[in-house]
Amino acid sequence: MSEAILEVNEVTKTFGGLVAVNQVTMHVERRRIFAVIGPNGAGKTTFFNLVTGIYKPDTGSIVFDGEAITGRDPAVIAAKGMARTFQNIRLFGSMSALENVMVARHVHTKTSYADALLHTPRYHREEQRARDRAMELLAYMQLDHRAQELAKNLPYGEQRRLEIARALALEPKLLLLDEPAAGMNPQETEDLQRRIVGIRDDLGITIVLIEHDMKLVMSISERIAVLDYGKKILEGTPEEVQNDPRVIEAYLGPGAAEGVQ
Amino acid sequence: MKKLLQNSAFLSLLIALSAIIFGYWLLQNPRSTLAFLLTLGALLAAFMLDIPRWLKVLVGGAILLLVVPMAGFKNSFLFELGVQTGIYAAMALGLNVVVGLAGLLDLGYAAFFAVGAYTWAIFGSKQANQFMPWHIFPLPGAYFYLFMLVAVVMAALTGVVIGSPALRLRGDYLAIVTLGLGEMVRVLANNLDHPVNLTNGPQGITPIQRPPIDWFIGLFDRFGIHMSRAEAYPLFFYFLVLVIIGIVTLVNIRLDRSRFGRAWIAIREDEVAARAMGIPLLPTKLLAFATGASFSGAMGALFAAKQLYVSPESFTLIQSIMILVMVILGGMGSIPGAILGAATVTILNVDLLKTASDYLNDLRNAGFVLDLGIFKYNFANLPNQLEPAKYERMVFGLIMILMMIYRPEGIIPERRHLAEMKEKA
Ligand SMILES: Nc1ncnc2c1ncn2[C@@H]1O[C@H](COP(=O)(O)OP(=O)(O)OP(=O)(O)O)[C@@H](O)[C@H]1O
Ligand SMILES: [Mg+2]
Repeated sequence: MSEAILEVNEVTKTFGGLVAVNQVTMHVERRRIFAVIGPNGAGKTTFFNLVTGIYKPDTGSIVFDGEAITGRDPAVIAAKGMARTFQNIRLFGSMSALENVMVARHVHTKTSYADALLHTPRYHREEQRARDRAMELLAYMQLDHRAQELAKNLPYGEQRRLEIARALALEPKLLLLDEPAAGMNPQETEDLQRRIVGIRDDLGITIVLIEHDMKLVMSISERIAVLDYGKKILEGTPEEVQNDPRVIEAYLGPGAAEGVQ
Repeated sequence: MKKLLQNSAFLSLLIALSAIIFGYWLLQNPRSTLAFLLTLGALLAAFMLDIPRWLKVLVGGAILLLVVPMAGFKNSFLFELGVQTGIYAAMALGLNVVVGLAGLLDLGYAAFFAVGAYTWAIFGSKQANQFMPWHIFPLPGAYFYLFMLVAVVMAALTGVVIGSPALRLRGDYLAIVTLGLGEMVRVLANNLDHPVNLTNGPQGITPIQRPPIDWFIGLFDRFGIHMSRAEAYPLFFYFLVLVIIGIVTLVNIRLDRSRFGRAWIAIREDEVAARAMGIPLLPTKLLAFATGASFSGAMGALFAAKQLYVSPESFTLIQSIMILVMVILGGMGSIPGAILGAATVTILNVDLLKTASDYLNDLRNAGFVLDLGIFKYNFANLPNQLEPAKYERMVFGLIMILMMIYRPEGIIPERRHLAEMKEKA
């Protein structure tokens, strides 16, 4: 098996005349914390949507865990072990926090239709297992006290954590986090940071995250890719990225790098 | 007063008393619409209000298993009402899975009812001899039960056939396509009398076998209640429908609390998020569609046996809409809501509007004169067109508009839908 869990090769996606993702190649090694950064509208979320199958790339290929997944159904890709959260939180608002997490146990619950109708021992066993695991994950994200609360009633920071708990319920090999710290206060962000490192260290899950909070990105990522206008302009370690004039220009505009130096 | 009404013991007493009084009244006056409605009101109150469970069961059992059947003996119209309500309630529960849980707007639901009805009609009558060898048809009535299962399977398969193309569409598009495909089933039933006579076309099929009930009559004989066949069938269908409602409700609850129910709700709320959590879109939707269809198919078979007659006319778009109205009226996704919606619409339809019409007719025939001093009206001049029974659809239209304005979540809202509605507001 190759070292990279995710290999994205020269992927392009256009919306009408706009090239949202342009010939992007990215290889993510196993058990890394990998960050994708770039200014607003750079194509980061679109990149996630391509990897998770929500959009089909115009050209290019995507290999996940040694298997080509280009153009596959998002549900199939998720079942193979890729989970994600959304920049604009997409919980099932009318379900409880617990039910939200249990939804993501779908592929791991072996209840047949007949089991559900007849309430066979297998139904009870599987249902219990799903519930137990969901509770474990809620506790892991420090949300167990909120289990019965409707997702939409949770405060913002907790909704973000609930999205992570739900994603973890897929038992993924790769976890994609789209701006997990957005809207969090410094205290919450710090907790989140520890939690993300924990997910990688305790659960062995590879993490790719999009984040605007540079302090968070620089302190936990091992590799960083920078997107600008759909193109990957750079990839490297935090030190390499931090000191690169192209990054400063991407964020602050052309010529800005000279002023800084 | 308010405090008193929150007191469970007081409430229990109130409900028990009203059930006894109204039930007794209905038994004395089996033809009184008011007594009937008040009895049902007591039943509803028992179900909705916060009283001990054993009392709920007691009141429900007494009204449904004793009062209504006994009153029905003196006024068999009550059985007709009960069976029709039951058939619609079961269908509303089926549509509730599709629309309420999975959020798929299906306007062709009557098609599955037709498939179920024809499944038994064709083989439970001489019709099948037209295209099958052996000339063994009609099948004996005992096959009815088997054919209810066949009807379930046939309707579910039709659901998959119709759903496979239709469910690739969303929202309004899905509604239009299901409407069209549903109409197609009716048109097929209308035209499949040639080249091979499958459905006997517009004439319909009759007579259709009913399940044998000698055992049922015998059972009552043993308790000293003697019934003719003609008396026993309405009672039998009434009990059969009660049993089916029980089963269908149980199925509904169990699916709701399984991974399938969760997947349906997830898809209804957010397709993108649901797929990203590993829920396959089309198979999950198809499952909801086929499940709903199968409920409708089972009731179709029952309908055929009860009516002794089926024709394409019974399966129009209006039927589909009527069932949708029941679901929305009761509260989307809500199981008691679907049953209440079905009861309300059916009773309004076959009882109240007709009663109101009859009442006005009586006034007209008697030449009643309303005299309010300045305003004088002789009911003998009341035009025929003003009969409420002729305004059935307008009345439903009005009810729906009022509901959408004042209580869009339905009469007995489902917890999750309520949450969604509030979220959007
Ligand atoms: N479905 C779509 N249809 C049309 N244009 C789109 C669509 N999705 C994204 N875009 C456009 O593609 C570009 C990249 O958007 P994307 O959301 O990927 O940016 P981003 O890097 O995630 O930005 P942000 O940091 O603001 O989240 C933007 O110009 C956006 O308007
Ligand atoms: Mg984004």
